[in-house]
Amino acid sequence: MTSEELGTGGAPEWNPEWASWAAAAREEFPRAQSALMPFLHRVQTDEGWLRPEALDAAAHYLELPRQYVESVVSFYSLFRTEVTGHRTIHVCMSLSCALAGSDALLHNLEEALGVRVGQTTPDGAYTLLEAECLAACDLAPACQVNLRYVGPVPPERFQTLLEEEVSTREDA
Amino acid sequence: MKTLDRHYLLRHRDVPGIDTLQGYEADGGYSGLKKALAEFEPDAIVDLVKASGLRGRGGAGFPTGLKWSFLAKDGRPRALVVNADEGEPGTFKDRELIEHNPHQLIEGMLIASYATRSPESFIYIRGEFLHGHEVLQRAIAEATERGYLGDRVLGTDFSHHMYLYRGAGAYICGEESALLESLEGRRGNPRLKPPFPAVAGVYGLPTVVNNVETIANLPPLILNGAEWHRQWGTEKSPGLKVMSVSGHVTRPGNYEVPLDATLRELVEMAGGVRTGHQVKAVIPGGSSMPLLPAGQLDTPIDYESLVQAGSMLGSGGCIVMDDSTCIVAAVARVVRFYRDESCGKCTPCREGTYWMTDVLDRLEGGQGELGDLDTLLDVADNINGKAFCPLGDASVGFMVSAIRNFRDEFVEHITGRTCPLGARLYDTVNY
Amino acid sequence: MVVDAAATVGIDIPVYCYHQALGPLGACRICLVEIEKMPKLMTACTTAATDGMVVHTQSQAAEKGRRGILEFLLINHPLDCPICDKGGECFLQDYVFQYGAGQARFEEAKIQRHKEYPVSPYILVDQERCVLCQRCVRFMGEYVGEEELLMDGRGVHTVITNVPGIPLTSPFSGNVIDLCPVGALLSEPYHYRARPWNIEREDTYCSQCPVGCSSSVTGRDGQVVRLEGRPTPGQWGWLCDHGRFTYDFGAHPTRLTEARLDGEPVTVGRAAQVLGQRLAAVVREHGPDAVAVLTGGSHTVEDHYALRRFADEVLGGSRAGLVKPVEADLPLALLGTFAELDQSDTVLLLGTDPYESAPVVHLALRENVRRRGLVVKALGDRHLLRDTLAGEEWVVEPGGMAAALAAATAGVSEHPDARLAAEGLAPADESLVRLGQALMEPGALTVLWDGREQDLAPALVALARARGEHPTRVLPTFGPRNWLAAARVGIPTDYETSRRILMDAADGRIQVLLLWGADPVRDFPDGDLAARALERCPEVYFGGVFPPDGAELLAGVLPTAAWAEEAGTYVNMEGRLQTGRGAASAPGQARPTRNILQAVARAYGTPLRKLDEWDPYEGTVDDRLVLPPLEGSVRPVSPPPAAESGFRLISGLEVALTHDPSEVAARTKEDRPARMHPADLADLGLLTGSGPVELSSGDRSFRVGVRGDPRIPRGRVFVPRGLRGVPINRLGGIAVAVRAVEEVASR
Ligand SMILES: Cc1cc2nc3c(=O)[nH]c(=O)nc-3n(C[C@H](O)[C@H](O)[C@H](O)COP(=O)(O)O)c2cc1C
Ligand code: SF4
Ligand code: FES
Repeated sequence: MTSEELGTGGAPEWNPEWASWAAAAREEFPRAQSALMPFLHRVQTDEGWLRPEALDAAAHYLELPRQYVESVVSFYSLFRTEVTGHRTIHVCMSLSCALAGSDALLHNLEEALGVRVGQTTPDGAYTLLEAECLAACDLAPACQVNLRYVGPVPPERFQTLLEEEVSTREDA
Repeated sequence: MKTLDRHYLLRHRDVPGIDTLQGYEADGGYSGLKKALAEFEPDAIVDLVKASGLRGRGGAGFPTGLKWSFLAKDGRPRALVVNADEGEPGTFKDRELIEHNPHQLIEGMLIASYATRSPESFIYIRGEFLHGHEVLQRAIAEATERGYLGDRVLGTDFSHHMYLYRGAGAYICGEESALLESLEGRRGNPRLKPPFPAVAGVYGLPTVVNNVETIANLPPLILNGAEWHRQWGTEKSPGLKVMSVSGHVTRPGNYEVPLDATLRELVEMAGGVRTGHQVKAVIPGGSSMPLLPAGQLDTPIDYESLVQAGSMLGSGGCIVMDDSTCIVAAVARVVRFYRDESCGKCTPCREGTYWMTDVLDRLEGGQGELGDLDTLLDVADNINGKAFCPLGDASVGFMVSAIRNFRDEFVEHITGRTCPLGARLYDTVNY
Repeated sequence: MVVDAAATVGIDIPVYCYHQALGPLGACRICLVEIEKMPKLMTACTTAATDGMVVHTQSQAAEKGRRGILEFLLINHPLDCPICDKGGECFLQDYVFQYGAGQARFEEAKIQRHKEYPVSPYILVDQERCVLCQRCVRFMGEYVGEEELLMDGRGVHTVITNVPGIPLTSPFSGNVIDLCPVGALLSEPYHYRARPWNIEREDTYCSQCPVGCSSSVTGRDGQVVRLEGRPTPGQWGWLCDHGRFTYDFGAHPTRLTEARLDGEPVTVGRAAQVLGQRLAAVVREHGPDAVAVLTGGSHTVEDHYALRRFADEVLGGSRAGLVKPVEADLPLALLGTFAELDQSDTVLLLGTDPYESAPVVHLALRENVRRRGLVVKALGDRHLLRDTLAGEEWVVEPGGMAAALAAATAGVSEHPDARLAAEGLAPADESLVRLGQALMEPGALTVLWDGREQDLAPALVALARARGEHPTRVLPTFGPRNWLAAARVGIPTDYETSRRILMDAADGRIQVLLLWGADPVRDFPDGDLAARALERCPEVYFGGVFPPDGAELLAGVLPTAAWAEEAGTYVNMEGRLQTGRGAASAPGQARPTRNILQAVARAYGTPLRKLDEWDPYEGTVDDRLVLPPLEGSVRPVSPPPAAESGFRLISGLEVALTHDPSEVAARTKEDRPARMHPADLADLGLLTGSGPVELSSGDRSFRVGVRGDPRIPRGRVFVPRGLRGVPINRLGGIAVAVRAVEEVASR
């Protein structure tokens, strides 16, 4: 299958750039299966999550079993295989942040967004996720918005995460 | 504790602008590398590092020079892998070093690679460190342009290529063999040993894996010598350590201290706990380590003293809990972390952390039974020393020490059917 | 490893994740033991046993460790042993019984996961029962090299599954059912069919190809309901799915269960009586030469013995022969063994892809490649290697293998026979010299050969002689499954004998032809000759399990018992005798061959006595046929047929397509059995990569479904031999015209 064939007929499209991204990843990491994660990161940075077609493409361009790709992707918590909002908010739930009130913060965000942790708002604006220790305990409660650190965010100042001008995915 | 005249690792605290090549060079950066290349045979550096007594800062405290000398000597090219997966709860030193002083890491990697005769090195940086990744990308580009990296470094016979590789969210990938699996593009399951990385590491090459901070120690060490390094700390634990202090302190942050500082000194440096509150307990080295109650605050942080006190230095993530802390909730939170981060390969860690988390959640919610405590301790015993990799052991250290030191508080949760402090850790979120 | 060392002294250390074929993993931790001088408990499966090591498997610490692991395994495991297919055959159940704690302490909620989730038409996974030992995943991914099962997720949420929409298709996938130590991977066809206490499980050997894999057959209420792999010393007990899931052939609707005379149902006794009387009359009138017997090589050695004695003693010396689907004869002196294969320095695939023709041999080869770096060589009229079995290969013109082999040998050897075989052939070019060098390498050579191209026999003999004292062995991958049974009892197995018999039948010199399991119209390489024989011979009788092609021409039919319906001996492709036991009963009037032949003999008037006193193993060495010495002269090999324009027909044998009719195995039946290069398909206008085509040669033609396969060279069309309704043996010639046709009927 080539990307051109797959890009036709209303089927979910393969991004024509994927081929060159995969080639670049292979050039940088030619050994073992090392090119896989860099390629997936590149796609996820672009689209916010990994569509099944992206996994098909990874398997195709990197000459790996599709099953292998699936298995690797499912191991890592940063790789998302569900539709993801424009802003992904990670709230750290590990001990130092918990001592600083991250539970209350997460709760406030759930109320404000009307979704549970792990979900995306219906308008696709926000995805709310919990994180394990972000190595930012000095910023407790620490958060990331599209993987940019924000903190400390006391529970009552949850609005910061929704409004403050942090970089979004496009410039990430 | 000897006071420091300046920072050697957190150098950016004294010298702004050091995160660029220009700024770093202006502060004498890369002169350690130049000295190493000009004045040392590789083996002499290994000897120097051995003599300095430098121990790994990633958690286990293994002597760095000795680790290097284990590399297979069969003529195959070797590799250096830098562990920048910093994920141990309470630890955030490597992130600061990477984001603010990246060239010292790169210089240290070049010195380590020259010493171990490694033509290639890899930085495995955790996926959440998006900013750190960008900083390192830029710094590597700068160093390459200036001739520190690439073919014939600074015109010598030493050539070196450095790769930057991003993880994607998995604490277990901090464990060195899981890291190597992940670096090779697989699931991050720890590898069976032997073969050890020193014989077959990344891509099968003889490999050294070192922590970011360990490597950042090398430039000043080369410039100043082994004796300089030994002026700090103790005989067996010499040198400086960046301690991450967090939790109930007023100035959480990283503190660069000699290895004979005490926990109390650290807490004070970090501004102490809120007025009107007392320290209840401290985890000295990240949540994988047993806690020490307030009475043990005068313990020095060197590897030996902390072991003697019943805990470990680990990665130096010092979490301070004051008297408002519900210890049951804290334990529940920590064990949950290991449940979520267990790779799932081995039975005791995978199932044991699940079981303990469920019991602790129940206990924390006031639904415990007295028998639960013995069950928890026995489950912990069935994990401890029986898991495939050290993550299993890590999941029980804090819990066991907490039940030992604060058993009454657990019992009160059970008999009173609620938290005696009225401080439920996650009373708002129910997931 | 400690666990293996313990086993050699009879101490059983429990394991889940460990399997010798897969190597150590250390994941499940059930094998914890206490080793003196070691601070912690150690896993016996990952710790190498050393001299002087003292291991305790029953110490308090070891027992507590093991109990703890079992308890962990049970916390997310449903307690549904009474309804579990593996109940009574489960290692979790066994170990808990043996070592487990009495009282369950886990009172929290178990994680809910998929149950009875199909990962293929044959395999269900019950994720709640899985202990994550990874045997299945590692077997498929590492051992077989077809990564079809995967671990999904992390930590306690890890499950074994497939990618949605991508079922397992590997012909080795069924082995994961056997490998699973608990009831997590289940055979869909066996699911809920039986319970361990109402079945009979007997040792047998798979009946579907000449590998003859050791296996266990499960019978329930007189029917075969399952086939499982059975490890034996030196064999892992793998099966291929074609064998594993064809177990139900005995109950297939097309199975012969009643006797017929001139198309009318009669009792077996009546049919035997009529046959006996007719034979007596014919022999009396025309002599024994007017009768001939052809076996299909699927019945047991004991049956073949009866057949042989019937021809010799009852009929007074009638001819007998074997119908096989290939034209060449194997010099039996060269017959090799699997053990020799495992030690061979060089292995040559000669025209055969064992993945298709003898699947479990493919696994053996792959293991050799993985374990000791064997580089497989291949010579064929198509690409015979595959991703999972890389090596070095030579692809020659259709019909050119014998010439290539002879020229290659002569290119590097001065041996007179090598020269003689290559007489008149073009000298070896550079590439064939490389092949010759590879084949003349010192050490042992094993050739896997599918018996096509008659001239390969002299070419192989020449090669063996040229190699001198370096052993040369051939493992024949062609069927029928039990053709060496004929060799065992002295029925000629050569092509010429059966061709003569069919010629004589076609020429009216034979009055009665007795086909025993033989289907010459479908299988005999000269299908036209076989068809003429059936048409012209006044009376053709058939004994067997499935009706042959041309059944309407038969004077009489006698239904015989099949594999697993009686104990019997089979000879596998290495010439080894293996006796399997019965676990089911023959349906309808089907009777063991011996009983039928005895009845015919009685009616004839010359009873067959003491058939049962014969021991098939008598005179064998290590249960193996005694091979004749390598004798006879070598003849020059004919040059390869001249290249012609148009498509050329090539063929081979595929167990997947030619196994017995089976409703279970039909779930994955390939309805496009022919293969062509995708670019050729595109040229024919078959842009979707498959479709029906018409193959024709002269005035003959037939239709067949074709699919794309880049391993078929351009300009060739591959059609398997022996397929029902795909009579390539009647096209006569290898130049064919191919054209795409409309889909005949929707399937
Ligand atoms: C579960 C687990 C997590 C670990 N995480 C880290 C980590 O994030 N960073 C690190 O440097 N070492 C980590 N380690 C320790 C490494 O395995 C390894 O010992 C270390 O990187 C060696 O470097 P050093 O000798 O310089 O300390 C971890 C170990 C375990 C068992
Ligand atoms: S202890 Fe076992 S399950 Fe846990 S992380 Fe290590 S190998 Fe994985
Ligand atoms: S059999 Fe030893 S760990 Fe699984």
